Amino acid sequence: MKKLINKIRFFTALYLGKCAIYLLRFTGSGGTSFPGKLAMTICPDILRELGAKYRIFMVTGTNGKTTTARIMEQILQENRIKYISNKSGANLISGLITTLISDVKLNASPTSPTALLEVDEAAFRLSSKHIHPAVLVVTNFFRDQLDRYGELYNTLNVVKEGILNNPETTLVLNGDDSLCASLGKDVPNPVVYYGMDELAVPEDNNRTMSSINNDASYCLYCKTKYEYQYYSYGHLGYFKCPNCGYERPELTANVVRIPAMTSEFSTVVISTPSGVFEANINLPGLYNIYNALSAVAFAEVLGFSHKKTIEALSSFESGFGRMESISLGENNIQVILIKNPTGFSQVLKYLSSVYNSSVICFMINDNIADGRDISWLYDVDFEPLKNMQDNVSQIYVSGTRAEDMAVRLKYAGIFTDHVSIEKDAQNMLDFALDTLKPGETLFILPTYTALLDIRKILKKRFKLKNFWQ
Amino acid sequence: MYEIKICHLYPDLLNLYGDYGNIQALVRRLEWRGINVSVHPISIGDPFLPDAYDIVFMGGGPTNEQEILHKDLLGLKKAPLIEAVENDTVFLCICGGYQLMGQYYKLSDGTELECLGAMNHWTIDHEKRMTGNLIFEIEGLKQHPDSLVVGFENHSGKTYLGDGVLPLGKVLYGKGNNGEDGYEGARYRNVYCSYSHGSLLPKNPGLTDEIITLAIKRKYKDFVSLQPLNDHIETAARENLIKRFLNTPNSPK
Ligand SMILES: [Zn+2]
Repeated sequence: MKKLINKIRFFTALYLGKCAIYLLRFTGSGGTSFPGKLAMTICPDILRELGAKYRIFMVTGTNGKTTTARIMEQILQENRIKYISNKSGANLISGLITTLISDVKLNASPTSPTALLEVDEAAFRLSSKHIHPAVLVVTNFFRDQLDRYGELYNTLNVVKEGILNNPETTLVLNGDDSLCASLGKDVPNPVVYYGMDELAVPEDNNRTMSSINNDASYCLYCKTKYEYQYYSYGHLGYFKCPNCGYERPELTANVVRIPAMTSEFSTVVISTPSGVFEANINLPGLYNIYNALSAVAFAEVLGFSHKKTIEALSSFESGFGRMESISLGENNIQVILIKNPTGFSQVLKYLSSVYNSSVICFMINDNIADGRDISWLYDVDFEPLKNMQDNVSQIYVSGTRAEDMAVRLKYAGIFTDHVSIEKDAQNMLDFALDTLKPGETLFILPTYTALLDIRKILKKRFKLKNFWQ
Repeated sequence: MYEIKICHLYPDLLNLYGDYGNIQALVRRLEWRGINVSVHPISIGDPFLPDAYDIVFMGGGPTNEQEILHKDLLGLKKAPLIEAVENDTVFLCICGGYQLMGQYYKLSDGTELECLGAMNHWTIDHEKRMTGNLIFEIEGLKQHPDSLVVGFENHSGKTYLGDGVLPLGKVLYGKGNNGEDGYEGARYRNVYCSYSHGSLLPKNPGLTDEIITLAIKRKYKDFVSLQPLNDHIETAARENLIKRFLNTPNSPK
């Protein structure tokens, strides 16, 4: 009897969830959490029931989750593996459920037997009790929106707890990140590490901010200051504790050389147990090399051929808002999400590698999804922007915290006569497009909810496709 | 030529919530007036010389980091830091740094963590975090358009002030020291303490200039006053938040 009730509950949840998905798509609102929430209310066990039907690959970590998941998708595609994924940043429990509900057929069997899921760190702990991934990729741990998640070590512990619920999951971990690498210590799980060799790390890496902006300079186990053989960025690099000996682990996938880094792509030489190969990563910036590298390590775990991986890396197109381009004939608009100090610093570093003249818009909101506390702006290294000032014809600041951003630029020593405050996103875009000279690039750097705002405006203006497609 | 030396205590450990912004605000506002300024990071194992600095800054850090520095702070640095406070060196201590200046920090299980004891205040851990925008009024800044100070707080400890310590200001929006008595921060001799972290000084140039003035006057007896600067961007940022949080009908208090 109980079994029957559970079955009725499950199918009711499934059908209502499916109806909600169709209705939301039909009305064009693209809601990704409501159907999952609804289904969960009716059948609290729905995630476990659905999850058991799939082979699951998961990605979590602070920065680069979405980009990494998109590269992994490309790898799955190249290897002709049918999969479902959660696209538009629906990375909380409700989003995972919505994703699986939209894939299963009416008899609850999967359309695609593989699910590639990006999960928020806290959601990973919750989901870990219900669904058990075959592979978990962890990108890195950096300080994020502290007023929501608590402190960095809490986040690390949350992921650690999730892993303890999944002793059979293969872990793909960032070996250059002392926090991330610690997840592979003293666990029964199979573990592979990825990272960078000393020779690969660009020499010009500016270390001025690292001493004050280092998220983990003391040993996690014995609280002694790490000695670094080299840094790649933030606290990533070859760390070693002189006291207890905790150090960067042996790498399974490592970048041995970076022959080229341009404002559009990077060429890297990667070494894995199955050989050394060169690949073009169709994304700029050191942080994206790490994202690609974690996907390469993932491919290695699944035993995919290098040839397919190389194809995937070079044909990859960036995901929702993480880095998106719109070509307007003579000009180009690039939208890049910023959400925490390390990410923002890396984006500025990328901008400084672009040689042609540009107009830059910073859109800083302080809604819950952005983090209500904007003091993290003071942990961003603005040195690259200062050095490229001659190439920036105008800077706009927008969003609920536009003035704070203007203050931040002033104290970074950026000439304030180049900075205009335009709180309204529509006005900002109009003015920015007007000031754009032929050949110039318009960079728009929004926080999360500001990205949703500008995306809506750009969509209307330039007819972009809906972001959940 | 005037010269100001700033000591940044434990910059590699207490650097949460953009504390660097406070150092940057002090540095820039001195530089913009042609005053020489240098910043000296002092961390674990480094000796602290009580007469070497004009301004000492201590920020907030995650619990794990605070444990690391506890031994160092209460060992090597305790006596010279207290000496510097008693000699009227200017201090700015934010969040965790504020708590560390006091008598003790009492955890939820009743354990009392000993603090520096440079000032007579203490902190009791509270399960509900006090997180959000914070606006408070500083009495001494009354004549100045900046008497309203705007910041952001994020702490789980409730701090109480004992004899000899005055509050820094009166809370107009947010929680402040403990969410009970309506006060925020602490003042003792030339020590300024606040729960408002990160971008406290950049957005509140009135407070920054008061701290700078105090430090220069202490060192150079002939110093009269700072040359005014154009602060319209800072004012716009502050007014934006004052308007948002104080002039809405359902704002608390
Ligand atoms: Zn150690």
